[in-house]
Amino acid sequence: MSDEKYLTFALGKGRLAEKTLELMEQIGITCTEMKDKGTRKLIFVNDDLKLKFFLAKGPDVPTYVEYGAADIGVVGKDTLLEEQRRAYEVLDLGFGKCRMCVCGPKEARELLQHHEMIRVASKYPVIAKDYFYNKKHQTVDIIKLNGSVELGPIVGLSDVIVDIVETGSTLRENGLEVLEEICPLSARMIVNQVSMQMEAKRINEIISKLKKVLNSEK
Amino acid sequence: MIKELVHTPDGVRDIYGEEEQRKLYLEDTIKKVIYTYGYEDIQTPTFEYFDVFSKEIGTTPSKDLYKFFDKEGDTLVLRPDFTPSVARCASKYFSEETAPIKLTYLGNTFVNNSSLQGKLKEVTEIGVEFMNDDSALADAETINLCIEALKATGLKDFQIAVGQMEYFKGLCENAGISEENELLLREYISSKNYVLAEELIDSMINDPVSKELLMMTGEYMGDASVICDMKKRINNDRSRKALERLEEVYELLKLFGNEKYVSFDLGMLSKYNYYTGIIFKAYAYGLGDVLVKGGRYDHLLEAFGNSKPAVGFVIVVDDLMLALRSGHINVPVKAKAETVTYNSNNLHEKLAYVCKLRREGKAVNLVAED
Repeated sequence: MSDEKYLTFALGKGRLAEKTLELMEQIGITCTEMKDKGTRKLIFVNDDLKLKFFLAKGPDVPTYVEYGAADIGVVGKDTLLEEQRRAYEVLDLGFGKCRMCVCGPKEARELLQHHEMIRVASKYPVIAKDYFYNKKHQTVDIIKLNGSVELGPIVGLSDVIVDIVETGSTLRENGLEVLEEICPLSARMIVNQVSMQMEAKRINEIISKLKKVLNSEK
Repeated sequence: MIKELVHTPDGVRDIYGEEEQRKLYLEDTIKKVIYTYGYEDIQTPTFEYFDVFSKEIGTTPSKDLYKFFDKEGDTLVLRPDFTPSVARCASKYFSEETAPIKLTYLGNTFVNNSSLQGKLKEVTEIGVEFMNDDSALADAETINLCIEALKATGLKDFQIAVGQMEYFKGLCENAGISEENELLLREYISSKNYVLAEELIDSMINDPVSKELLMMTGEYMGDASVICDMKKRINNDRSRKALERLEEVYELLKLFGNEKYVSFDLGMLSKYNYYTGIIFKAYAYGLGDVLVKGGRYDHLLEAFGNSKPAVGFVIVVDDLMLALRSGHINVPVKAKAETVTYNSNNLHEKLAYVCKLRREGKAVNLVAED
């Protein structure tokens, strides 16, 4: 039964997918179809290994995995925290490292010391809410933005922002700085709960192979 | 003009036509199998006092319960699951009983979960509770009943993963892990978050054997050889006993001839303090979540002042329908009602004919000729 079934991977579009494929190649999983940049295909197949791959928008990857449309997904920890989907988070792939931070102008640091009400702009309202309510016990007004969150404090929409910081250069150029770090982030491999039981052998093999590669890189 | 109210709220829906027929057929099929194991029906109220489903007893977070008040100001809750109600009931009516008690229920449960995630807030559950028997045979019979019930519905590709709470608890006790950290570790391991589990284990334990055994808990899943392997390596009696119990249950399942549906997952733990012995879940393709949840909870009845060992499981009928649909498995639907036409001349004889058919149990529509 298990020989017949294809294992499907959902990969977050962009650099995450490229890096994942590089890593997969090291354990002998290749998908030549996918390397063709000009292709308009949505789904790629490796018939020898019975694997399928597709690219999806980051926040949708956990959704595909939760419903079993994909058995395995690769996505940033930020998306996992924000989407709160039920899937097993089995492996830290080590790349795509960055941090989730509270950022703002220098003067805003003072606002974070007390429990007074502040306004927070973020693409990640769930993460922001959890941090301020459950860890800092500070009342906040959260404003959801969909991009260029740094604008928030600059145009006076919010006091601070909660966003991903990689190098911090965008922040500095706009007169903002990291005020507090919420958590470190990196790419994670997630597995559908049902697939993990039904295809335990194949999936655990992939996991342990990847682990070996990752440990040797350390 | 009055706005037409035709929509249902998010998370609840109308079930009608062939879908409803299929659902009733499944409920009926499962019930029949359950009856063959000697279970008797029980009905409990749709809502109860909040305390029946409180944090110490239930497995639904308080914020996900539908709560309201009665005239005295007591908080009432729409049942999120049946087990606490049945346990309350058994403590009340069967407190003196020492012979095995076998109860089965069927009804809707209500959980106010988050919207827009494609989950229903009202689902139909069918389940069993087997009390006053703490033997391995009771465990095996319960798992086997679950397998037989699923098989009877036509479902083919499913897997029952079995774990044992005591195994993990033994490891933690032996390694001297605090209760707080044990809860945390339990959450990481049961959600197979190997990353965090490893970090936590590393930070708490020095003994390399305990460390390795705990680390392996999460990853150890597979056939019965898992149990054999672990028995050789285990370092404490409590965990060894847990493994022996699993072995015993597995041997019994072999006698039932259903061992091929069973696999082991020692990392299957529950966030809640509810389960005390075996714990099992059924998985099937087409579902994001488990299809069946079950296990042994020997201390639950204590919460209602009456200690009795108990084991049981629950099948969510709505999820089962999804699994069957994704497996392209047909559930029989009843034949459409027969139509008999009449005109003013033959009404008398047609009516008699229709009555005769109906007495035979046939579905008949009596319709006027055009």
